[in-house]
Amino acid sequence: MRHSNAIGGNLFSTDAPERLKDMLEREAAKYPFLTEAAKLVDALNLQLDDLTDPTYKKVLDRATERVVQAIEDGTIDERLDDVLTELLSFPVAVMFVTIKDEPFLSRRYALAEAVRVYFLLQGEERDKLAQIARDSFGWDLKDSGERYDGVLHDFRLHFNDYLRSSSSFHEDKWKLVNRIVKNGYVLLTQREVARLIQGEVETLIKEQVSKTVKINLPEPLQRCLERISKVFDENRQRLGGEDLPSEVTNEAFPPCIRYCMEGLLAGRRASHMERFALTSFLVTIGMPLNNLVDLYTSVTDFDPAMTQYQVEHIAGVRGNRTKYTPPLCDTLRTHGICRNKDDICERVKHPLSYYRIKAKRLAYQRPQKQP
Amino acid sequence: MESDWGSPRFVAEHFHRWYEENARTIPAPSEIRSREFAFLQFGGKTMFRHIGFSDESSFRRYLYENGPAHSYHSSSYYQHPEGDMAGKGWIGADLVFDIDADHFDLPCQHEHDKWKCRSCGANGTGKSPEVCGCGKAAFEEESWLCEHCLQAAKHETQKLLDILVQDFGFSPSSELVVNFSGNRGYHVHVRNKRTRNLDQSGRREIVDYILGTGIKPEYLGFNPRAKGGRSTLAEEGWRGRAGRALYDFIASSQPEEIKKLKLGRKITRLLIEERDKVLAILEEGHPSMLLKAVGVGDEERLMADLSRLMEIAVKEQAADIDTVVTTDIHRLIRLSNTLHGKTGWQVQTIQLDSLPDYDPITSAIAFKSGEAKIYVRHAPKIRIADTEYGPYTQEVAMVPLAVAMFLLCKKGARIEQ
Repeated sequence: MRHSNAIGGNLFSTDAPERLKDMLEREAAKYPFLTEAAKLVDALNLQLDDLTDPTYKKVLDRATERVVQAIEDGTIDERLDDVLTELLSFPVAVMFVTIKDEPFLSRRYALAEAVRVYFLLQGEERDKLAQIARDSFGWDLKDSGERYDGVLHDFRLHFNDYLRSSSSFHEDKWKLVNRIVKNGYVLLTQREVARLIQGEVETLIKEQVSKTVKINLPEPLQRCLERISKVFDENRQRLGGEDLPSEVTNEAFPPCIRYCMEGLLAGRRASHMERFALTSFLVTIGMPLNNLVDLYTSVTDFDPAMTQYQVEHIAGVRGNRTKYTPPLCDTLRTHGICRNKDDICERVKHPLSYYRIKAKRLAYQRPQKQP
Repeated sequence: MESDWGSPRFVAEHFHRWYEENARTIPAPSEIRSREFAFLQFGGKTMFRHIGFSDESSFRRYLYENGPAHSYHSSSYYQHPEGDMAGKGWIGADLVFDIDADHFDLPCQHEHDKWKCRSCGANGTGKSPEVCGCGKAAFEEESWLCEHCLQAAKHETQKLLDILVQDFGFSPSSELVVNFSGNRGYHVHVRNKRTRNLDQSGRREIVDYILGTGIKPEYLGFNPRAKGGRSTLAEEGWRGRAGRALYDFIASSQPEEIKKLKLGRKITRLLIEERDKVLAILEEGHPSMLLKAVGVGDEERLMADLSRLMEIAVKEQAADIDTVVTTDIHRLIRLSNTLHGKTGWQVQTIQLDSLPDYDPITSAIAFKSGEAKIYVRHAPKIRIADTEYGPYTQEVAMVPLAVAMFLLCKKGARIEQ
């Protein structure tokens, strides 16, 4: 959706064969994020004000529903009864999410659209799947046919494309080390290819909704956005996208951070990665910078000025002003900092999620333990 | 005269002379205009970085004029290499690997490395402990190197190259560059347009792949639900490597070592009492046969045991790379063919096929002629070229310049007037 002023253009030239037009529209409605679909929408040259016209009410409703379903169900139904509404509601939904500008909503929406696509892709022929992967995402995907442990691997994908498309997957089976990798290519089943396309779609939509846009929406659209906001607020807590505890809760530290902390207190030499993990964690959960500097300099022979500088750098008060968040569990594992995993660790991908869950558990237990 | 150890002025002068003679032969790294350069001078504490060169001759002129103690270039490509970090405009980065014997646990370290606690004075050989008996953790350390360290580093490098070629499909002749680091290890650079734009998480997966981190036997054939198939020992990738790792581990472990792992009763008994049968299964049958041999029972426990066993076993097949260097997409790494200020040796590019016979202490010697009289406070025995020198303890020695430079760069000696 362009937010410019131009108007005009036709969706299709009138002499396009009817059947081809239907097919194209249907494909575009299924996969509205693909370049071809975007071209169709662009050709319409719709303007924001056009959408206030009652003829577009269905589009606005479906767009709102897309976002609401994403929040409530984590996926979006893959209906295709009204293909034009399906097609047009996608860019409008993207616009709503973009304007809302809530990182948690953006992530959840991108994932929901991607899951919808995964379901649709499972019904596609092998060749169609390969075509989307190659043409739309530029994958270096080759046919294979090798069988391992009785499982047929239809495709092999260049590891570079594999790593990019699987980057948001955290299950063991997607780790490169647990895949069959030969001569630069990763062997995959057809179903796995569909799942990886889901990964690409998620990344693509995340990029689309993460742009900053400031638009004053006309009245009917504003109402849609209000409805989305209401649903979002109602579900926020349930979905765990809530904020960190307001006070630093030492007892809720994950085992890796505890390990770094205890090491520091014992005066053990910490690797750069350990210090970074600890500092970024403590900064993010709200420990005041001065306390942090005191902590470091009291237990080691760190130079206070240097420590102050480094802590401020990680906190984003200095340098390029990036506020660093602590590394993912996966990263901590690579660098040998992930230790003493417990049951909460099995459920999370990030030390901050651990902290959130544990703090909530403690808060729940605490009143009961009071005499 | 603590500060005199290493006689920096003498060393700097020889570095200067060496660069005056050799700078014109040092090739610039590929795509020189997109690279950041950085240098350290003798006695200087700050690194001169964010330096850019427009062509090879200006790069060589810098070396000629400055004779730096340490020279680096970025593995990354930038739009503006001379800008500050925020303004550089990252384009991509070579995939780089660092293998450093300093990270290994080797028996020879007990012969040439020492540590001393700064607070209580306790001391020992090899690497310093994490925390001293007195509760403090500040140490003075002395670390040297020997043929064994260098051999171990080369062995890891060869394993790494095998994985990069066989599994990742990189061309050994056109995409892989192997450098002796000039000290205790090797650097491998991958120059491939496609891998250049890999992000940190992609590079982290590659690190995990090479180290075997997070490997799970159920995805490598050790799955009770797998149907059919042959032994995996001869297979490519981690399927074969993990099978072989497990085979070697079981074949070479003593019963006490296996008991120490505290695995389940059944699997422990099988590994100790029926070792030959287990090995035969791995050699001839599909890995799932091993699970069947252990028999039904607590499957979760069995898989956890196998996971543990595998984790330990794969260390022999994995290549021991530094995790931080590869995942850092803004890394500075030593320039090929320059001198290393902590050894006086040359960073050298080695043809892949000559790596097996490559001997750094013969080939990487930069100062080939001349002699110097030095006073050595302490140095273990070291071979340079074909001759062994030392050990030395508080003595004066007249040695070839190459030996003198090495001991001076290591701060174990000073020039004796």
